[in-house]
Amino acid sequence: MASSTTLTQQKKPERSLSPWQIARKKFLKNKLAMISSVFIIIVTLLSIAAPFLAQYLSPLPDIAKVNIGSMNIPPNSEHILGTDKSGRDVLTRLFYGGRISLLVGFSATLMVIVLGTIVGSIAGFFGGLVDNILMRFTDLVLTFPFLVFVIVLNTILYGIVDGLWVLIIVIGILSWGGVARLVRSKVLAEKENEYILAALSIGCSPFKVIVRHLLPNVASTIIVQATLIFASMIVVESALSYLGFGVPQATPSWGIMLSSANEPDVLQGKPWIWMPPALILTLTILSINFIGEGLKDALNPKSLR
Amino acid sequence: MTTRDFIQDRIDSLENRDVLLEVQNLKTYYPVRGGFFKRTIGHVKAVDDVSFTIRKGETLGLVGESGCGKSTTGRTILRLLKPTEGQILFEGKEITKISGAKLQKARRDFQMVFQDPYASLNPTQMVGDIIAEPILNYEKRNKKELEQEIKSLLSKVGLPEAAYYKYAHEFSGGQRQRIGIARALALNPKLIVADEPVSALDVSVQSQVLNLLKELQIEFDLTYLFIAHDLSVVKHMSDRIGVMYLGNLVEVASNRDLYKEPLHPYTQALISAIPEPNTAIKKERIVLEGDVPSPQNPPTGCPFHTRCPMAMEVCSKEKPPLKEVRPGHHVACVLY
Repeated sequence: MASSTTLTQQKKPERSLSPWQIARKKFLKNKLAMISSVFIIIVTLLSIAAPFLAQYLSPLPDIAKVNIGSMNIPPNSEHILGTDKSGRDVLTRLFYGGRISLLVGFSATLMVIVLGTIVGSIAGFFGGLVDNILMRFTDLVLTFPFLVFVIVLNTILYGIVDGLWVLIIVIGILSWGGVARLVRSKVLAEKENEYILAALSIGCSPFKVIVRHLLPNVASTIIVQATLIFASMIVVESALSYLGFGVPQATPSWGIMLSSANEPDVLQGKPWIWMPPALILTLTILSINFIGEGLKDALNPKSLR
Repeated sequence: MTTRDFIQDRIDSLENRDVLLEVQNLKTYYPVRGGFFKRTIGHVKAVDDVSFTIRKGETLGLVGESGCGKSTTGRTILRLLKPTEGQILFEGKEITKISGAKLQKARRDFQMVFQDPYASLNPTQMVGDIIAEPILNYEKRNKKELEQEIKSLLSKVGLPEAAYYKYAHEFSGGQRQRIGIARALALNPKLIVADEPVSALDVSVQSQVLNLLKELQIEFDLTYLFIAHDLSVVKHMSDRIGVMYLGNLVEVASNRDLYKEPLHPYTQALISAIPEPNTAIKKERIVLEGDVPSPQNPPTGCPFHTRCPMAMEVCSKEKPPLKEVRPGHHVACVLY
């Protein structure tokens, strides 16, 4: 016993845990967040593997092709989740839909976070006229009527950019305002700390002060916000696709799949067509929100969980 | 050699050394904004006409009440704030107007020790990185060598070498202040502005940090501008002392002269407020009436005339300049 304790004492790590390592430890202990993470990872992996899985799941791997011979078949051994009104396998489309929904959600979130962080941190750090100009511009972007701009920009960009990326760029351009405001307010509070003054006095350039000193200290807020935005971006994509302003109709996305529930006949009599995408959409968004909640606890040095 | 001889010796040797920093008529005003379009509607005159010099190897103490502009003076000298007027000459070179990359380059020679050891260290950085950063801002260095250098610097400020791998939150206030001192020392600067470096610390730890600063001064031939509001701390640290009131320097004298024979009525009141440990000695306290006027709207003439027990009519009209009334003893008062 005695020898084993001395051994563990000797093996004690020389380096202390960084704030990030402490956060990771806390996150791994959070059961709900971990279950949600596993779920998201599985959904992501299945979506990535969709073309590969399609060969085994459906006798007709081509998802875009209309198949008149097998329209509206309820779930059976051949089609586990049945087929839709064009005769396409629902399960296969579900996996393909995940590719689109997750890709749009992730890319749009990345764009929103990057734009918002750049604008917000520059405005907050420099203050004065720079702050005024950038924030008034942000206000302007925030007042854009979202739906109208989506339709207009969609039309302008259509044909120039690939259909999917039109949507990502449009959502990205219109949604960074909130993040910019959040980051600015955090930066304003954080820059009052003397270590920012200290960083300037030891010869850091303003750019370096922002990147190395300010952003790491506001990163926790940005990361938590990113997860929430990720969830809402998936909803936005689905909603737009449902309305017909999203990705092109031929592309399978969860939103497009849901839009088939427009028909009362489908909504009432053929639940296998719209239930699976509705369910997976709900679960995905819930999971992402749980992960965000977990990150919030993990990154908050004051929470003991 | 007695202590008194030692002090006299130090004063004599310092008098012959070159001037490192010269501050002439320095003014730093903060704009006060208000109204509909956030126009500038006034100024807080935090520093209003301050002039002094510091010789190489010397410690100049700056004392005054909170809000009298001593920290602003220190920060303006390091050009962390923009001076409104006046000149700052560092080694004879003008640093008042430089900016951008030039200022960044010049900062190598003057560093700062901050007041709050809890807020002045980045919580996401490892202690080793905190101290290495100033060096890496100016030089490309071999990683291993630099690590060794930082570790020896850590032991010089009285911290274990293992501190290199830790984070600031794992240390006590006194230890954090040592990290801050190590960061300021990393570039081997010529001037260090210590902005109330011990006011946030326990009394028991204060003396350790002060003595460390004194030891380092001799080892690295440092020049200090030592800002504090605690008179006994300033007495312990400084060769010469400047007394500030409402943004103005009212008296500058050597440590001995100032405590033995304060000339300005404000300094006299300050010195009389130092508690006397020996109860047998009866001390007469000069109690000042009223509050410090607002620096946004300072009184005309001598800034102290509203509270001065010896105020005359002329005091409210003319601002007395800082003049040398005895060798090395400068006072801004009409009485002299």
